[in-house]
Amino acid sequence: MAKERKFFLPYMPTKSRASQMLSPIKLSTGYRFMLYRTNAKSLFVTAAIISWSLLLANVLLAAESLRQDSSNSLALPYVNNFLIVIFIVSVFGYQRLSAENLKGIDFISYLWNIFVKGGVAAYLSVALYMVYRIVVNYANVQSPLLLHMVYQVNFGLLVLFLAKAFYIWRQLLLYHKNKFLQIAWDWYEILLFATLLLTLLNFDYSSMIFLPLLVLIGLYTLFLSTNLKWVAYLTFNKKGRSLILLAAILLACYIFTDFFYNFVDSPELVIDYTDVGFLQLAMLFVGTYTLAAFLVALFSLPTSSVFEQKSEDLLNFQRLSQSIQQGQSEKQVYDMLFESTVKAADASAAWLEIFKGDKDVELCHQLTIEEEQIKRIRHLLLAYNIQNIDYINNNLDRNPGFRDLTLPWKSLIILPIKSKKHLFGVLYLLKDIEQGFDRETVNVLRTFTNQTILTIENLRLVHESLQNERYKEELKIASLVQDSLIPKNFPSDSWFEIATHAKAAKEVGGDFYDFLQLSESRIAIIIGDVSGKGISAAFHMAQMKGIFHGLMQQDMPPSEFMKQANSALSRCLEKTSFITSALYIIDYRMKGFMFARAGHCHTLYYNSMMEDTFYFQTDGLGLGIIRDKSYNNHVREMYYDYNPTDVMVIYTDGIVEARNKENDEYGEDRLRYMLTQTYHLEAEDIKCAIINDLEDFTGPTDNLYDDQTLLVIKFKPTQPSE
Amino acid sequence: MPMKITNQIKDTTIIITLDGELDASSSVMLDEALSDPEIMTYSKILVDCENLNYISSAGLGVFISHLQRFEDAQIKLIFYNMQDKVRNVFEILGLDLLMTIVSDYEEAMTIADE
Repeated sequence: MAKERKFFLPYMPTKSRASQMLSPIKLSTGYRFMLYRTNAKSLFVTAAIISWSLLLANVLLAAESLRQDSSNSLALPYVNNFLIVIFIVSVFGYQRLSAENLKGIDFISYLWNIFVKGGVAAYLSVALYMVYRIVVNYANVQSPLLLHMVYQVNFGLLVLFLAKAFYIWRQLLLYHKNKFLQIAWDWYEILLFATLLLTLLNFDYSSMIFLPLLVLIGLYTLFLSTNLKWVAYLTFNKKGRSLILLAAILLACYIFTDFFYNFVDSPELVIDYTDVGFLQLAMLFVGTYTLAAFLVALFSLPTSSVFEQKSEDLLNFQRLSQSIQQGQSEKQVYDMLFESTVKAADASAAWLEIFKGDKDVELCHQLTIEEEQIKRIRHLLLAYNIQNIDYINNNLDRNPGFRDLTLPWKSLIILPIKSKKHLFGVLYLLKDIEQGFDRETVNVLRTFTNQTILTIENLRLVHESLQNERYKEELKIASLVQDSLIPKNFPSDSWFEIATHAKAAKEVGGDFYDFLQLSESRIAIIIGDVSGKGISAAFHMAQMKGIFHGLMQQDMPPSEFMKQANSALSRCLEKTSFITSALYIIDYRMKGFMFARAGHCHTLYYNSMMEDTFYFQTDGLGLGIIRDKSYNNHVREMYYDYNPTDVMVIYTDGIVEARNKENDEYGEDRLRYMLTQTYHLEAEDIKCAIINDLEDFTGPTDNLYDDQTLLVIKFKPTQPSE
Repeated sequence: MPMKITNQIKDTTIIITLDGELDASSSVMLDEALSDPEIMTYSKILVDCENLNYISSAGLGVFISHLQRFEDAQIKLIFYNMQDKVRNVFEILGLDLLMTIVSDYEEAMTIADE
């Protein structure tokens, strides 16, 4: 008994369960609790069956003795009351445990549970009583034993029904509970079960002393019955179904009440269960709550569509805002917008236009409207010059233009999906009634479009940043490759000095230079610029370096190198890519150099004998532009004898095409002028002077437009190996 | 500054006007315009470069990649009204020997009609 009692202490089961959920260490306790629950359930069932059977036996015994002695009293009233209490407690305890399994917001299933498992008991009891009456009438015998039996069975069914309904109502009553409600309910439960003590001690509850208490409990019940939050969550259809179920449950309440009050103080019976105050109070609660739920459901029926709409708007709104996390596409967002707004406005026709690029309009959704009609409406809007702006017309018939279109609709709203910078699309909704778009609806629609804009913009941002991330990573690799391809130190020799400058742009890349010592007195220097950027440019650079080192092992003249390089590159360059390059072979024993230019910038030269600076104007087509043998006619070779202190400036277009704020290019002329001013300096100083001038020209900038590469070669006056 | 590409059609000649800077991003537009199968139905393509302020290697790459195709189809590709600095870029790369670059529209039309 003590073990069972424990279950009626408020909080006990819930508290211990919650603590187990919080700490996984107590898992074994949780398992034990499960076992405990199952054990408790079977214990309750056993106790209920035994107590009910004993009660039946006792009642039948008493009835038998009544028939014989006609003394209207039970043999052992206290034992009887004790059995009643045990039976009630067992059944209620069992139902309390099983009701806790009911979860979720499918309230209809709760009601269905009460009806099927509880309400049917009432109809069974009616049927049983009918059978009894028929049997009695037919056989025309008075059988008190049979009556007692029926009465006893009905008592069992009543307790079952009450327990089931009581605890399911508890679940619903505590839906969206707060702390106060939980406490209020717990005390109510304690109070009700306390009344069982009266039965146990055989007090007469109807005596005057308990009357105020009864009134209080009645008010308490009324107060609790106002907690019907779950009803608001029922849709119109569900309310209809729940009304039927509630009516059936009410009928069950009535049947039981009627049955037991028919037998109040019946002389034929030895026992009267209306004496059990607890049952009356439980019936009061179940009946009141059912009636309250019935009435509330009934009267909220007309307004339920409003709540349905609101909660659906809210749900759609939530879906829209969550679509980013769920990685949905823009199309899905527009789908959602269209669906939600059509529902929210209850529009009879609608279409959605999405802008692709600046001009392209795509009609991506259409609802009960012909393309022809759309065309006509848009034409008219264009004539009124009200395209792509917020526009509401709640009485289209009043407008002659719309009247002429003979449309079946009377209201129109245009909602552009537009951020400050960008027009994403336009939503058109039509309704077949005048004043179809009231302020409330328009507000909801605007909220939807605003949320859509936010979602689309965020989607694009996410996409962009992902792209950027990948692009950055690619650039990092490209610049690493590029960096590794450029020689870190040039050979320093006594007969010439060389100064180099290389600065990679963030976006466009592809400059490179390299050298190869061909023999003791000859060196090959190559400079080049690969079109394109990122990884592909870096790869082409690497290819070019390979070609340079591979071909120049065979020591060939520059023009021959260009022809072979072109033929090699033709097979692997993409169609839109090409490489400009210039190759110089300097022979200090011959005091001259040979070079060929393949579309690369002209070489700037200072001739110290003539004291003149000039560009070598030679023809030469870039590599990869013509991809067959005819390229051979497009490359020229030149030989030039140099003088000591001559200066050669080799560079890429990043230098001469560097721009200032006014968008002017640095240009070949300024570069040449710089050399006329600095040719007497050492190579390193000439380079620095040019780069300083270039930086003066462009101004401080972090983001170069193109790679800048500059090589300054100065032939030294003394050449000791002679 | 975004690139503007406009087409104008005169009989069997299509005149493509380039306005702005032909850089890596705008060259995609140019590539689309030149890849249009319809362009192969004309006998001459005139490119008006009067307002072409800059051409990047990507822009050049687009012309280069279509060059062979037009040549094979015997479609003449003629540039005219080219600014000096843009012409210089063509010349350095050696493209002036591969492509027809003339001073003005009249000259372009007479060459085209040959």
